[in-house]
Amino acid sequence: MKRSNSMRLISTWIIACALVFLTSCKVQKEGLVVMTDESYKAVLFANNNKIKFGSPDGIVWHKGKLYFADEGGVALESWTKQDGLKTLIDSRFGTESPEDLVIDSQDNIFFTDDDAGGLWEFTANGTPRLVAGKDKGLISTEGIALAPDGSLLVGDGEQHEVFRVTRDGQVSEFLGKEYGITKPESMVFDDRGNLYIADNEDDVLYLLDGEKKLHRVVDRKDSFSPETIFYAKGSLYITDSHNNKLYVYTPNEELKTIAAFGGQLKNVQGVTLDDQGNIYLSIQTDLKRKVGAIIEISKENSEIAKK
Amino acid sequence: MVSAVVLSSILASLITTLADLNDRLLLGINGLAGRSWLFDSTVAFFRDNDLAKAGVIGCCFLAAWYGGKTTNGTTTRRKILIVGLIAAVCVIATTKVLSHTIFLPRPEIQSRKIYRLEGDQLVEMKRMPVRVPLDETSQKEYRALVNGDVETNDLGSFPSDHAGFFIAISLGIWLASRRLGLIALGWTILVILMGKMIGAQHTPLDIAAGAGVAIAEVTIIQYALRKRFSSWLDKLAGLTLSYSALSSALVFAVAFEVSSTMIHVRAFLGLLAAMRRHVLLGMS
Repeated sequence: MKRSNSMRLISTWIIACALVFLTSCKVQKEGLVVMTDESYKAVLFANNNKIKFGSPDGIVWHKGKLYFADEGGVALESWTKQDGLKTLIDSRFGTESPEDLVIDSQDNIFFTDDDAGGLWEFTANGTPRLVAGKDKGLISTEGIALAPDGSLLVGDGEQHEVFRVTRDGQVSEFLGKEYGITKPESMVFDDRGNLYIADNEDDVLYLLDGEKKLHRVVDRKDSFSPETIFYAKGSLYITDSHNNKLYVYTPNEELKTIAAFGGQLKNVQGVTLDDQGNIYLSIQTDLKRKVGAIIEISKENSEIAKK
Repeated sequence: MVSAVVLSSILASLITTLADLNDRLLLGINGLAGRSWLFDSTVAFFRDNDLAKAGVIGCCFLAAWYGGKTTNGTTTRRKILIVGLIAAVCVIATTKVLSHTIFLPRPEIQSRKIYRLEGDQLVEMKRMPVRVPLDETSQKEYRALVNGDVETNDLGSFPSDHAGFFIAISLGIWLASRRLGLIALGWTILVILMGKMIGAQHTPLDIAAGAGVAIAEVTIIQYALRKRFSSWLDKLAGLTLSYSALSSALVFAVAFEVSSTMIHVRAFLGLLAAMRRHVLLGMS
């Protein structure tokens, strides 16, 4: 009887200690950034305490403002240090899950929505509008790119196609199913007019050249799954939400990992660069609970001084 | 109030001392690596080769299973070993859950620049100046790490699942047979776990935590199952004697899996999960 009581006491004590350990360490809140390229440093630029966003997916720096396609907050938002966070479009206008965005030189903002579908615009004079909706065949819009002729290319994850959408809402097929792209999650043009396409279902990074020939640029199913791509100064920056990494790809060079992410920072989504060349990443820690963060990755001071 | 402050400062200094001790111990043990190719290759062989690493534990398990001198003795041993196996599965589940929750990278990863989220900022972690073993596998892994190839599994090394699993199995063997248990425990500590620390794959703290989980769960599960499900265990152990050919085949499969750290079972579970995703949830 005595032995039984003491065993019960020991068991209770062990379980209590384990619970105290788990709760006091706040283990659920841990997050890591491993800099595999040591010339960079990482800073937590924003989280839900610093900026009251939901959980952003696509992000873009444009003329000193940071724009969010806030999937968790169901809104299109902009942020500056002086003015703070401003909501430009929210769910009242019909958006459900803002995914990716681009901004043209006239400051018109275009974004996609993988739940509501369609291509959406917030014009430079502050008017929201649906450029083309589900009725025109844009069912689940993902990646978006601004074509040199001013039209917009929009990837559709359910129809496995890329569509061209003109500013007045005309939709036509740009890349049909025969190209074999399963989920055009993100798209961007380089400075030579080639279009990079990230397919995060087949885990391939494609390049569509000027003659409309599709090339498999990176195809490593076991260790690479491109989520968002952003082209700047001759390099393509790629996030990978399956393998929790940030890469940089320069044509004719190896794919290089800049950083790997763990814990609550592991779900890396959007990527953009500011005018100084600093990299910004959106992290979706918990989309349902609207928990997210923005991480800034920049060169160490010594590197900038060297440059 | 005063006592709370004193207690917290004592706790803080205790944690700092323990962390310091952990680092020193690791660096001392890891200091053996990177000096001799032959030594490092030998350590790596026993660390990475399933037969060399865990074959001894599997042999001890089989010897304990068949080693009873009387029918009663064999039944008692088999009951202990069956419960030991159940405990080992629970231990590996616990260590896996903990290592996916607590993000403490392997020491070899900690030799790189790492930022840790603390409140509203990223703080650079102290670097661990570990030595890289000279064997081919370690060198290849280090080159991959320098090139940015970080495995997700390498970001959560606390607690050590190797320590948890092998200590749980060895404790089960020790409860069934002291002599065989000591061989299994000795092999686990001196060969398997020491190799992990020499190769900077785990710190002494990871190992101690894994061992702590194993000791706690083996104690609780042995006690609980033998108290509450004694009649079931009697029946099961009796069946292994009645159907000795079939039970021998099953025990061989179990010992084989123990020797390969359940890698095949894990692959099978992975296949089941994939089937569930593809067939039941209709994902292509």
